[in-house]
Amino acid sequence: MSNPVVENAGTTDAALPADAIDTAVVTGATASATSLRRRAPGRSVFRPTVWVPAVVALLVAGVLWEIIAINNTYLLPRLGMIGQAIITQPAFYLENAGVTLSEALIGLLIGFAAAFIVAVIVTESGVLRRAIMPLAVVLNVTPVVAIAPALVVAFGFGPGPKLIVTALITFFPILMNVITGLNSVSPPILQVFTTLRASRLEVLTRLRLPSSLPFVFAALKVVFPLSIVGAVVAEFSAPGAAKGLGTVISVASSNSRLAVVYAAILCLAIMGSILLFLVTLLEKRVLRWHESQLLTRR
Amino acid sequence: MSVKPASVKPASVKPASVKPDQIVVTDALKIYGGKTAEVTALSHVDLTVERGQFVSIIGPSGCGKSTLLRLIAGLEKADSGEVSVFGADPDRACAAKMIGFVPQVPALLPWLSVVGNVTLPSKVNRRADALRRTLPGHVQRDAADPRALLAKIGLGDALDRLPHQLSGGMQQRVAIARAFAIQADVLLMDEPFSALDEFTREAIQVQLLELWEQMRTTVVFVTHSVSEAVVLSDRVVVMSARPGRIEAVIDIDLPRPRRQGLLESAAVHEYEDLIRARLQTAWASGPVTA
Repeated sequence: MSNPVVENAGTTDAALPADAIDTAVVTGATASATSLRRRAPGRSVFRPTVWVPAVVALLVAGVLWEIIAINNTYLLPRLGMIGQAIITQPAFYLENAGVTLSEALIGLLIGFAAAFIVAVIVTESGVLRRAIMPLAVVLNVTPVVAIAPALVVAFGFGPGPKLIVTALITFFPILMNVITGLNSVSPPILQVFTTLRASRLEVLTRLRLPSSLPFVFAALKVVFPLSIVGAVVAEFSAPGAAKGLGTVISVASSNSRLAVVYAAILCLAIMGSILLFLVTLLEKRVLRWHESQLLTRR
Repeated sequence: MSVKPASVKPASVKPASVKPDQIVVTDALKIYGGKTAEVTALSHVDLTVERGQFVSIIGPSGCGKSTLLRLIAGLEKADSGEVSVFGADPDRACAAKMIGFVPQVPALLPWLSVVGNVTLPSKVNRRADALRRTLPGHVQRDAADPRALLAKIGLGDALDRLPHQLSGGMQQRVAIARAFAIQADVLLMDEPFSALDEFTREAIQVQLLELWEQMRTTVVFVTHSVSEAVVLSDRVVVMSARPGRIEAVIDIDLPRPRRQGLLESAAVHEYEDLIRARLQTAWASGPVTA
């Protein structure tokens, strides 16, 4: 099976500061270590070779941050100040993170459902494919960030625009991956199904949908972090009126409260990492047949 | 030992629909490609397979043996000519699940266990059972127990394993069990053992024969191995290429059950030499205009 198509996730990295990327790296390492432990008992997260590189990298990044921050307090807040910002009012961050997270997840759910349905329609019907795909591509090349203010004008400061932006931003990566997945059925298997005269629905449910799962998970790994980007961007466009980490960042930066800005960013990074970690865990469970196939590499 | 050139067959063949006990291919023509690069895959091919027979089709690559199999399987349509599977056209035969197809690669679903893969054909196209009863060419048999079937073919202790946990030979045995499981009237096998090593191949041939002797289905088996064709078949159809045509039909008159000891005998080698000679003639005769 070919490698799943992965949409460019460059925006995710661009939106997160250095320490956020560090957090992501740490979480990523933990995730792969966990999977290795399941297969080979000899390897463990607790083995120094597994955790030392990540910790060292984190420490180096932290030291560099501090060196910059000490001499340029207008550029970066000291790490201690970020920590203090969170510790003094944890409920504040937790509440706003909850708002952003729920926007991101509900938006993602809408985007996922829509993309999945469109992918099935498009793979089953040539006419509808030719009708829908150009629209989808136009939607993809349009910067969703640019639509966000217009959506706020149209739908107000409530959750509506945030869900729409998140759904839009996650739609295309899911669509492309699921289409590729649904088509990634090997001809001999299809021949067996054809000689049995399995119905199109049977081919879809018993063959195409399971075949698409590896691609679905590849898409999920991209769009879970992307959904947070969507929610935050939408919050930027409607500041002051609602809650959410994006609003917190927007308000705090207009008041030059850098520590609060970075505290919120740190929360976003942690949220994204946890989501990614959970998706990876789920993938390991669901795709046992596929993962192991990749390992043996016939 | 009887050898009859294909051309001797009578030109007038009765309508296929009146023969519920034969697979009949009549005057099949199949041409691939456009007007500039035409390839005649099958040039007016006639073939008859009796119910219960094990027939192998052998020939060099490009002789149209797989095309012929796919015509019978209803995976392709002939440009002209007729195909009848026990009195039904391939479309109806497939709709009634009378055809079990074993492709070159095992083509198992990687997320289903061995048992899951073998029971899959019985779970799709459930209307086939009703249609089967209306077709005179179908012989009703009790559904095979997939677990017993797998045990017979030596996979009794691998029932719940996933395909990637099996060797290539085991995977192909699962594919064979899957084809047997629906009690199809004919099994169409497209070089199923070509990717296996010599030892695995011989072992699996014996298992296929044992299973076939118990189930007594009709088998059409495409191969490019002369010894495999002789060991397995009641009848070997020798094809030649450019254009694809039937060169000879050779009846293999060896006692059954065929066990490994018997197959060292001189008779086997005689048949092998005969088929090789026929393949040589086909090769030497070169391109013939269709």
